Amino acid sequence: MNIGFIGLGLMGRPMALNLIKGGHSVAVWARREDSMQPVVAAGASACASPAALAAMSDVVISMVADAPDVEQVALGPQGVAAGARPGLIFVDMSTIAPAAAQRIAALLADKGIAMLDAPVSGGEVGAIAASLTIMVGGPEAAFETVKPAFLCMGKSATLIGDAGAGQVAKACNQILTGMGVAAVAEALNFAAKSGVDGGKVREALLGGFAYSRILENHGQRMLDRNFKPGFKAWMHQKDMRIVMEEAHRLGMALPGSAATAQMFNAMVGSGLGEDDSIAMLKLLERMSGGEG
Amino acid sequence: MKTGFIGTGAMGRPMIFHLLAGGHEVAVYARKPEAYVPLREAGAVACTTPAEVARRADVVFTIVTTGEDVEALAFGPEGLAAGFGPGSVLVDMSTIPPGTARSIADRLAAQGVAMLDAPVSGGEVGARAGTLAIMAGGDAAVLERVRPLFLCMGKTIVHIGGNGAGQVAKACNQMIMVAAIEACAEAFAFARKSGVDLAKVKEALAGGSAASRVLEVMGARMVTGDFAAGIEARLHHKDFRIVLDEAHALGAPLPIAAQVWQQLNALMALGWGKDDTSSLLKVVERMSGMAEA
Repeated sequence: MNIGFIGLGLMGRPMALNLIKGGHSVAVWARREDSMQPVVAAGASACASPAALAAMSDVVISMVADAPDVEQVALGPQGVAAGARPGLIFVDMSTIAPAAAQRIAALLADKGIAMLDAPVSGGEVGAIAASLTIMVGGPEAAFETVKPAFLCMGKSATLIGDAGAGQVAKACNQILTGMGVAAVAEALNFAAKSGVDGGKVREALLGGFAYSRILENHGQRMLDRNFKPGFKAWMHQKDMRIVMEEAHRLGMALPGSAATAQMFNAMVGSGLGEDDSIAMLKLLERMSGGEG
Repeated sequence: MKTGFIGTGAMGRPMIFHLLAGGHEVAVYARKPEAYVPLREAGAVACTTPAEVARRADVVFTIVTTGEDVEALAFGPEGLAAGFGPGSVLVDMSTIPPGTARSIADRLAAQGVAMLDAPVSGGEVGARAGTLAIMAGGDAAVLERVRPLFLCMGKTIVHIGGNGAGQVAKACNQMIMVAAIEACAEAFAFARKSGVDLAKVKEALAGGSAASRVLEVMGARMVTGDFAAGIEARLHHKDFRIVLDEAHALGAPLPIAAQVWQQLNALMALGWGKDDTSSLLKVVERMSGMAEA
């Protein structure tokens, strides 16, 4: 398949490399030329604009920061829509608001371009290992066409529903992981403040009903005090804002998510935004009279 | 003074009457023609566009719902900006995000028009009585020019700081006030679930350290089960989004405000957005399995 890839950051770069490894012909575009270099060295061709990239692609994938970036890439001047051949499928794998995904999908549909929203879970580790979980919203036919490419980047790709449904699933994922990190951090801080070995607590709990991948992986990194990202706290803050905006729009109470979002606000406000989101532990330590 | 006024709702209408009673000329614009009737009778001049209001007035007041509404009035087709001359003043008394207030002020400054953000507290009762608390952001000298007009509408006028500062103060006001309403709601739901007479609880508390205006006004509504607005809860719901958006942008944790926001989300979902915010009592009662009062 001829695949165009836009957004070669922490996540996008290994994803593009895995597409090349899977035998796809990959074209890339990035605002900064140097970020294209490692992917071009692996065999991708560099393009001068999203439009130029679209002109040589069957599928264009974007992996960028926020909804305005997606809109710019898709519909801006020299955007994907400006260069798309008939039948092109646009796949946005960024995490943005479901409502924004629906709006962009509708604008592209007017131009005859099918869109999938296909955000991922699994982080940089999952992107490198091609073990991402991919949750997809959009037309089924487009999903079936792109599925082989998805499976070069992830171990599963699930069609959740219509446009925006992938982003709804991702929002659910962020609710669970955001509160999960907070829960593990609170438990380990509780153990430490009680004078109990957190490592032993984690080990015991892993065998019981509190088992979770977050307790296993993130819990260990908290105990190792390894706060290197991973998934930066400011990004989780951004994702929780998407969740809370949807809650406001739809009229639903998310008390747990609301509390967690405020913890992320505190992290960003107190200089922990560039740390991994597990630095929530440091914030809790400060709130318990410790150094953090 | 020659004034203009846009926003003829529950708050705006009595404010217009006070300006007229203070001897000022008032040019008004409203989307719905029927809104003009009582205003004309009181001596206001009806205009067909915001631009016409701006041409007739030295100081134009707006009190509408959202930041987008204010932007549209100011910069839309036949908007205020098209009618303002140099030295005109826009006083926006709506509750909108501080960032939006600053950006409107910047755009107007480019054409020599000054702006104050001057949101109010005190509700419809305060608007009718002319006793609003007015919190102003913008240039101090501009505020002094406008102060005689403010004194027709309110009794406490405080210059908080530069553009947007009035809206920051209003956000603080909403945080404190609605959290207090939620506190009353929880306390009264707790009392009712315990089988205790709410009126007695309120009476006792009003004499002690928990006394507050919210307990007095909203508490009374909760006790009698009179949830007719007052201030429509949907407006507080809107304001809380502004508050929590700012908290996100600032990296400022607001744990309680975030919880209150969720209770307001639940209130909206239950269809009580046009009722008084004291309906937060019913949200807590429903969560605790109590029959509605």
